[in-house]
Amino acid sequence: MKPDITDSAANEPAAPPDKLWRGLDEFQGAPGYAEAALNEFPEGATELDEPSRRRFLTYMGASLALAGAAGCNLRPASQRKIIPYTTQPDELTPGVPLFFASAAPFAGYGRGVLVRSNEGRPTKIEGNPDHPSSLGGTDIHAQASVLDLYDPDRSRGVTQRGTPTSYEQAVAALRGKLFTGNNNANTALRVRVLTETVTSPTFAWQIGQFLNTFPNARWVQFDAVSTENARSGVKKAFGKSLNVTYDFLKADVVLSLDSDFLCSGPGAVRYSRDFADRRKIRAEGKDRAELEAGRQAGRSFKEGVKVDPKADPKDSLINRLYAVECMPTNTGAVADHRIALTTGQIGAFVRSLAAELKVPGVTGAGSWADAQVKWLQELAKDLLAKKGKSVVVAGDHLPAWVHTLVAAINSTLGNVGQTVKLTAPVEASVEGKMSDLRTLVNELNAKTVDVLLVLGDANPAYSAPADIDFAGAMREYHKDATKFSLHLGSHQDETAVLCDWHVNEAHYLETWGDIRGHDGTVAIQQPLIAPLHGGKSAIELFTTIMRSPEASVPGAPRDPFDIVKSTWQKADEVKKTFPNFPALPKAAAFEVFWQEAVRSGVVAGTAAVEEKAPALAANWSSDLAAGTGPAVAAGELELNFRPDPTLYDGRFANNGWLQELPKPLTKISWDNAAFVSPKTAEKLGVKAEARWTGGEHGRMEVNVIELTVKVKLADGKEEDRKVRAPAWILPGHADDAVTVHLGYGRTRAGDYVANAPGEKNAAGQDGVRGFNVYPLRTGSTWAVGAKAARVGAGAKSGSGAKYFLACTQGHWAMAEKDPISGKMLDRKPVRRGSLADYAKNPRFAKIPPMAAGETELINENVPLPKKHEKKSDHDHDHSHGAGEHEHDGRLIPLNMYKPAEGLVPDLRDAQRRRWALAIDLSACTGCSACVVACQSENNTPVVGKDQVTKGREMYWINIDRYYEGLEGNDPNAVKAYFQPRMCVQCENAPCEIVCPVGATVHSADGLNDMTYNRCVGTRYCSNNCPYKVRRFNFLTLQDWETDTIKLGRNPEVSVRSRGVMEKCTFCVQRIRGAEIVAEREGRPIRDGEILTACQSACPSGAIVFGDINDADAAVSKWKNEPSNYGLLAELNTRPRLTYTAVVRNPNPAMPK
Amino acid sequence: MAQIFPKALNPIAKMIVLGLPLLAGATGVTGAAFYRSSYATGVGEIPPQPVAFSHAHHVGQLGIHCVYCHTSVESSGFANIPPTKTCMNCHQQIWQGADLLEPVRNSYKTNTPIEWNRVHNLPHYAYFNHSIHVAKGVGCVSCHGRLDQMNLTMQSSTLLMEWCIACHREPEKHLRPKEEVFNMRWDASMAGKNEATGKPYTQRELGLELKEKHRVRDAVTLTNCSMCHR
Repeated sequence: MKPDITDSAANEPAAPPDKLWRGLDEFQGAPGYAEAALNEFPEGATELDEPSRRRFLTYMGASLALAGAAGCNLRPASQRKIIPYTTQPDELTPGVPLFFASAAPFAGYGRGVLVRSNEGRPTKIEGNPDHPSSLGGTDIHAQASVLDLYDPDRSRGVTQRGTPTSYEQAVAALRGKLFTGNNNANTALRVRVLTETVTSPTFAWQIGQFLNTFPNARWVQFDAVSTENARSGVKKAFGKSLNVTYDFLKADVVLSLDSDFLCSGPGAVRYSRDFADRRKIRAEGKDRAELEAGRQAGRSFKEGVKVDPKADPKDSLINRLYAVECMPTNTGAVADHRIALTTGQIGAFVRSLAAELKVPGVTGAGSWADAQVKWLQELAKDLLAKKGKSVVVAGDHLPAWVHTLVAAINSTLGNVGQTVKLTAPVEASVEGKMSDLRTLVNELNAKTVDVLLVLGDANPAYSAPADIDFAGAMREYHKDATKFSLHLGSHQDETAVLCDWHVNEAHYLETWGDIRGHDGTVAIQQPLIAPLHGGKSAIELFTTIMRSPEASVPGAPRDPFDIVKSTWQKADEVKKTFPNFPALPKAAAFEVFWQEAVRSGVVAGTAAVEEKAPALAANWSSDLAAGTGPAVAAGELELNFRPDPTLYDGRFANNGWLQELPKPLTKISWDNAAFVSPKTAEKLGVKAEARWTGGEHGRMEVNVIELTVKVKLADGKEEDRKVRAPAWILPGHADDAVTVHLGYGRTRAGDYVANAPGEKNAAGQDGVRGFNVYPLRTGSTWAVGAKAARVGAGAKSGSGAKYFLACTQGHWAMAEKDPISGKMLDRKPVRRGSLADYAKNPRFAKIPPMAAGETELINENVPLPKKHEKKSDHDHDHSHGAGEHEHDGRLIPLNMYKPAEGLVPDLRDAQRRRWALAIDLSACTGCSACVVACQSENNTPVVGKDQVTKGREMYWINIDRYYEGLEGNDPNAVKAYFQPRMCVQCENAPCEIVCPVGATVHSADGLNDMTYNRCVGTRYCSNNCPYKVRRFNFLTLQDWETDTIKLGRNPEVSVRSRGVMEKCTFCVQRIRGAEIVAEREGRPIRDGEILTACQSACPSGAIVFGDINDADAAVSKWKNEPSNYGLLAELNTRPRLTYTAVVRNPNPAMPK
Repeated sequence: MAQIFPKALNPIAKMIVLGLPLLAGATGVTGAAFYRSSYATGVGEIPPQPVAFSHAHHVGQLGIHCVYCHTSVESSGFANIPPTKTCMNCHQQIWQGADLLEPVRNSYKTNTPIEWNRVHNLPHYAYFNHSIHVAKGVGCVSCHGRLDQMNLTMQSSTLLMEWCIACHREPEKHLRPKEEVFNMRWDASMAGKNEATGKPYTQRELGLELKEKHRVRDAVTLTNCSMCHR
């Protein structure tokens, strides 16, 4: 049909509801959105801040003067020093990075990592393929941990009441308390040691020894984000403390009850990998038998699973995920079926499910609509059909009785021992954590403590709940001048300033240690650099204070290396915790074992021992009857607390990468918010307005709401606690509930990012980023009833106090108007279908309806892997050049671009490479590990909240989160998809032909090279890029001043300054590095030899890189999958980055 | 109204019309020449060094192999400056009291590195890699000049991009057999007789053969921006 030219866009509905959309403003067709989306650099974005003519003239004058001064130095490079070692370490070759195995700690657990060291500076974290909690992947926190090392606000010394002193003096003061006269332990001393969860065998052993020496000492563990509910629920179910891990590789059906198992928790990286493996469709994938065999050492493990379109979809190896959740999570976003329920409703839902599954002694609860009943029944049927091959996972914050019930469900379904593994606890001490802190605070108030040691990441002065006033107790405690307290931590934080002594803590990359992963496997942490500020670890501190009497120098620390090593030499001690630990006959054998453990980053035989045939305890259901949801009074909303997706409990508040990283689901950067559903927002009368003008490209003006919680304090009094928070309307959030994230509103996080002068938070406080919700919590509550009201409320909806949030969800839209009809084009960014669609037509993703007539031609324009017979390595065939490509049927004649391979007629066949990337959207969970990995690898700057609102963030990878649906604001109707978008390295690159200075040109292997030193900043390339993946340095966004930050940069990548365009390079530094090694050795580059930063970080293995000239390369196989498609391939850009369509596996019996 | 310019000025006006382009051209030529001059590029410059180390003595007279000190030249992008320990390997035994070597002994004793002044300064956006050049048969002398004759080390090449590119376009002009890479005195005539011509090898003939043998890639690939700029 011919397009009707008279059909104007004004007559069209703003956004058809079945289309993908990224923000509510886009969905609702907010005024100005379309114009702004079309305009890559919004009006005013390119101006300097507060532009004025006078200032402009000042700048001009200054730059002329500077140009004159710079002209004196004609040379491109200034005279520099060159400083060799005095004695060069044996293993080090200057210029060649080394990798060391270690483990990144997170809330007491470790994820195995390999750390790159450039001339002794740790610069990049990679996953450790040998570590069971990693399998080569990492997460945002592990990636960003390297920046913590270089945090300029880290504590740089030992202080006593704020006055600098020395470590020796601190130790002497502490020892003076602990020991009397000739090293006799003062056994009457009431010592309290406060830590977070400890899994380190060495540290646990030290604490044990300490507690033996001081019989009146107690060890208190405090985690603001505790797993206490899960622990005690499982203990109730099975009669003893157990650790639960899951095998998602064997799970056909997964039910997630408000659990973000793919993106949070100590096992998330591993779970992502296993889960995604059951989502990838591969022609050469695993069959059922290979799947059952699982991962085995020394055997190749095929990627993905086979799908036979003709077979019964019930027997498909593609897994199915049901999610029931309150606050949308990334796990829920990739679920096949999802319903939104409040935490209270989830409890009732679990009861009803258990009743449906015939778990003995459980009756249903709650009142459900017909559709919900059907949902539940079909879910139950599906679970029952997959007995022993299903998993039910409950979120850590659900009440203990829900965990007991979930354990019973898993037991009834026969999953325990199959997909749900119960092992001995991994933590050194599991028992009562919040109650211990409560006791400690009472003791401090009563001054029945003599010495308090606060060690590590525990920061109770900030994160203790309202009814445990740790800060107040500390002040009370120190009213008695004889009392002693010492804090060991990385920052002079809220807790540090309340303690007498503060010792700066060493980062995990600076010291020796050991730590256990989610399944209990121990990793040895080794230092890569001497402590930058002379910090000490908790292990060192304990050794120093407990040193044996014969040590000649008081307080002389033993080498931390010896301390950790000696733990593992005590075979008998080790055997107690690790029954599978190998028996080592001789000292020499130990040395071999130790070297291997340090080298590989994994201690063999230390995985927690699996419980043999665990059965439910007889009285498992005795607490069920009393189990309730949160008490929500009439007129109140259910307020849910969650750890922040990036800052966690607040410990990462001074990490610029994690602050700026758009939250994986909400895409808000630099802030937390109170999340409500569209319906609840309507009730509260709150609105969000995107400012799309004046250079603001994602500045969201939102209403401030006040949350009021009746808090019962320790003394029994009730108090109304109020917190002001910006309200954010989040599609998919359960109605009648509010979710807030912990971790913001810190007052002493550091100057680097937590302070923003003149940028007040929603409560009007200066220099505090976000709002702190810990004062609203009591005990380890995760949900309470709360009143919520718009602040400064006028009658009109949306009026009242405002706050602005930086949200990147609308940034870099690939918007384009049809030049003929004037309608916005549907770019079909994420192509998606169900397993049934796939069975019907596996090539469903290849059909862009807007150009159906040319489908074949367009699909052919995605560069396909070559299917040519391999020629010998040394063959040099001159006829194989441009001539051949003239007959290449895939090319369209009359093209202004040269075919990439035709550029190099003289290159040997064996040295011809066509680099390409493929991303499997079925496997992507949007966790954003790739974004931080890219930032770390490519020296991408942190720009700050204000700049983010102007669309000036510099991420080379954008993870777009698209929504679909939301009919009638029904939270269950919305679906979400993730799409990482970076430079696709077009073979016909529109950016290249418009660059006036040739700063972006094509390389022979098909990369779209960006040459910073040539770029003059016209930004034509960015204008002409249909993918909107180019980033311009509008200002000097890099930190050129801070010394420690410089240490952490990747020396292989230029640090870009103002006025330069940049974009994803496919990690060209890694490509050229591997090329040089291969060329030096005269061999081809092996498949898998080059991993891009995003690829190696990806926990779910959703990204693959390689040479599509090699038909056997993984990337070629991915691209030959029928569901592979090129984004905007209809433009004939021939993108080298292609996507595999999302294939989900919905249950056909489920209600719509 | 009287004319402002008298007629007598006409020749001057003509001279200006003719002269301006000439002046502009001359400025351009001068500028280009100046840009390439040793004043601007630093060719022939000898930066002062904390120790008056002589390559002429160590390489030319004593015949110490380049890799004895620059150990990483074959395996890394960076051809390292030797650690003080390397100096002391010999100077513990010989010239152990020489005044000239006081900074070296001091460095070794106090474990503080010697701060040398870099002779070849490349801009930070150029990623030069020694190992691949050595592996493909580019001799040290091609870039660094006759170090065996230099008493104090000087910059021998302009290090301008056009200088790099010239060789990347025609590597055959500088390729030599791999075993001769560290040989300061080598030239193509020492490669023996060319079977094809019956005459001694010229650099071009040998270079083209070695380009094939060493699998040196083509000029287009070698001049891709990302080869050196990342």
